[in-house]
Amino acid sequence: MANPSLNRRRRTDLFATALLVVLLLASLHMMSGAVQRSEALDAWFMPLLAFTVLGLFALVSLVGWNLWQLLRDYRRQAAGSRLNVRLVLMFATLSLVPVGVVYFYSLQFLARGIDGWFDVQVDSAMEDALSLSKVSLDLHKREKLKLTHNLLVSLEDTSQTALALAIGGLRETSGAFEVALFDRKGKVLALSHRNPDVLTPSPPTAHMIQQIQEGKDFVSLVPLRSGMMVVRVMAIDPGPGQLVMQAIYAVPENLSSLTRRVQDAYESYRERAYLRSSIKFSFGLTLSLVLLLGLFGATWGAFYTSRQLVRPIKQIAEATREIAEGRYDVRVPIPRVRDELAFLVDSFNQMTRRISQARNLAEASRRELAAQHRYLETVLGALSSGVMALDASGLIQTANPAVGTILRLPVSFMEGRALKELAQLDSALTQFVDDVCEAMNADTEEGRVEITLYREDGRQVLLCQRSSLQLQEDEAAGNVLVFDDVTELVRAQRDAAWGEVARRLAHEIKNPLTPIQLSAERLRRKYLPRMEAAESDVLDRATNTIVQQVEALKAMVNEFSDYARPSKMEPRPVQLDALVGEVMDLYAGGEHDVSFSRGAEGATIEADPLRLRQVLHNLVKNALESRSEVKTRVWLRTRLVQRRGRQWVDLEVEDDGAGFDPSMIDQVFEPYVTSKKKGTGLGLAIVKRIVGEHGGSIRAENRSEGGARMVISLPLRAPGKPAQDKKNSAEGEEV
Amino acid sequence: MPDVWRAMLLWLTLSLAAGSAQAAGLEFSKVTITLGEDDRIYADVQIQYRLTPAVREALDNGVPLTFVTHVQMRRAGAWLWEKDEAEYRIRSVLRHRPLSGLYEVRNLGTEDHQVFATREAAQRYMGRIRDLAIIERSLLDSTQEYLVRLESYLDVEALPLPLRPQAYFSGEWELEAEPWEWQIRP
Repeated sequence: MANPSLNRRRRTDLFATALLVVLLLASLHMMSGAVQRSEALDAWFMPLLAFTVLGLFALVSLVGWNLWQLLRDYRRQAAGSRLNVRLVLMFATLSLVPVGVVYFYSLQFLARGIDGWFDVQVDSAMEDALSLSKVSLDLHKREKLKLTHNLLVSLEDTSQTALALAIGGLRETSGAFEVALFDRKGKVLALSHRNPDVLTPSPPTAHMIQQIQEGKDFVSLVPLRSGMMVVRVMAIDPGPGQLVMQAIYAVPENLSSLTRRVQDAYESYRERAYLRSSIKFSFGLTLSLVLLLGLFGATWGAFYTSRQLVRPIKQIAEATREIAEGRYDVRVPIPRVRDELAFLVDSFNQMTRRISQARNLAEASRRELAAQHRYLETVLGALSSGVMALDASGLIQTANPAVGTILRLPVSFMEGRALKELAQLDSALTQFVDDVCEAMNADTEEGRVEITLYREDGRQVLLCQRSSLQLQEDEAAGNVLVFDDVTELVRAQRDAAWGEVARRLAHEIKNPLTPIQLSAERLRRKYLPRMEAAESDVLDRATNTIVQQVEALKAMVNEFSDYARPSKMEPRPVQLDALVGEVMDLYAGGEHDVSFSRGAEGATIEADPLRLRQVLHNLVKNALESRSEVKTRVWLRTRLVQRRGRQWVDLEVEDDGAGFDPSMIDQVFEPYVTSKKKGTGLGLAIVKRIVGEHGGSIRAENRSEGGARMVISLPLRAPGKPAQDKKNSAEGEEV
Repeated sequence: MPDVWRAMLLWLTLSLAAGSAQAAGLEFSKVTITLGEDDRIYADVQIQYRLTPAVREALDNGVPLTFVTHVQMRRAGAWLWEKDEAEYRIRSVLRHRPLSGLYEVRNLGTEDHQVFATREAAQRYMGRIRDLAIIERSLLDSTQEYLVRLESYLDVEALPLPLRPQAYFSGEWELEAEPWEWQIRP
């Protein structure tokens, strides 16, 4: 569950947020300095304000994002979300209440403090001081105006020359630093300046000219760039000279200084009074920004702290859910701070580790058991013997596929049923059920019994081994049956016994036959010419009879020998249709009605053609001799079939004869079983043996329209398969 | 004023209707660009200052107002980062002196100092810029066209600090003239 990239991101987020808060604090500190009239920070006020507002917006967005996540988790009922909400609410409330209280009283205090700067009495005093200054200056202005008028009056000669001569004295007398005389049209008549280099008078302003033209004197207090103040007077001569005198007087230094200070103080006070609401707003804004920073900083801190506290609990809750869903390898990262939560997480991890180990052991055992089970199933499935397990009440618990094959019932059909129900499903199994039940009831641990079942296609001999099976000590014992279908084995044993009998019989009989035949022929050669006609006739018939019967006995003995003789196969690729055609050609055009239909053109089998010819002759001969009194028709046909995943060629030999006796049809391939008067009973037995030696099978059946049908199935030769070695040719599939 | 008969390269006058001068704000009422005898390009500018009630109230309460006139000459179609051919900022402070009852105009660049009995007279003086030498013609490329741009505005940053936030967000304090632009070929 530990995710290094997630932890790294969390650390980066924490660092970025802390940096943002620190920068905002620094910005607010500098803003506070600017508000307190710090010249260095004055120009930075608005950029700082913009930065602070943007920073706060980022902080608000961060808090909003955290809040949205918290609400989303709460709605989803995510692990730890409820505890997280409670902690956030608690932390936020704890921090917001005191901050809000401090903000409220600070704002009150600030407003009252600023209002305290301005007082009615101070206002009045400032106004009075300014009025006093104005009065003082007005008095000074009036004095200078009067002085200027006196100077004008003192001018007796108004000629330009006289004025030019007199004006210097007037300036010195009056103490002005500039005196100029104009006529009413504004022409300069005379000038005297303290600085002799100044040759032009100070130009009167439009306002001054307008006032003079209106016939009014002008007097004004003019502040200079240097901070010094001067009184500028333009006085009109009431006399006939129509002169206008401009005089500029310096205001005494002490009066100028005092009035300037009064003016500066008044200006400053008035500006502050005007800016009172703006100052309150600025301080309030700064304080509000501090409050917001504290508010959202504390809220974000509440989110962070609650997350830190809840994270291990949340991780444990999630891990518990995963364990409940079966994932035992889950681990919770241990918090860095080694407190009780870390101990809890560590204990939880130990618990999950042990659960995981136990589950792994159980899983290993289960896998081992499953492997053993599969192994057992495979072994039982591969067995040709049927294995059946029954419980104490006789219910079939398990049965391998061979059981189904031997008992000819689906295994799935048998499992879970009582053994006795098998007899109801197939009456042929009644003997099996009775014998097994009898064996199980016997008070022995194990037993062996041979069971013969009588089925429609003949007898089936089963060799059954029973063993007691007890899995639990406190449970009743069940049984395990192992049985084999030994029908073919019994049949083979019988065939072998018959073969041995035939071989010995042929040997014992054949030995005296030749001397008998030679003796009969000698009697015939020696005594027949000498005897009378009547006697010789008797001898002739008697010796002929002996010779013929000896020949017949020889033929019969040879057949016995053939049946008993070990096989000598010489297999090679044979085209069955061609071989059958060749044999049938021998019967064509004769008295026999034999026809052949080719249905497997080109089909090649691995066979000994001589032995196969013998099979064909035996079958055709057998069919032709099926009725002695009526001519029999015989049909042969071949066809290709797909059976058990392999290509076979079927050869059918049919006739319209009498057919097989239904009671003997199961034993027609057994030696010395025949329905014919002259037959030895070995023909079909030899056919079956040869077919078996070729890996094929043969069956006999009656045609529905009358007559018999023999069907031989031979495996097709695999493409590209080399011819079989002679030594292996004798091996074949048992029919 | 240089003799415009011999060497005038460009003479432009922009006179706007007097009726529009009634709305509050700043306005370039007349701009004249001339080539003087000394082969310099000169500008004569007349700006009308019409103060809003809030600004007038602040002025009458002793708050000094700083007006900036920005004169700029650039190559026509110049990129943003290209240097100006010429650039001037004329900063004038208007304030009211309660003791004398006069209005004082001070040019922060030249330290020129004038007092006026009325605010209107002070504004008229402040808005009159005569013979401002922009650049010598020889410094310009005669194949290029150049853009002369003038701006005039109340400098909010020069206001007392407590007034600034309000001035930034209040339309009453947004005093600036529509920029004046003209393209010339020397």
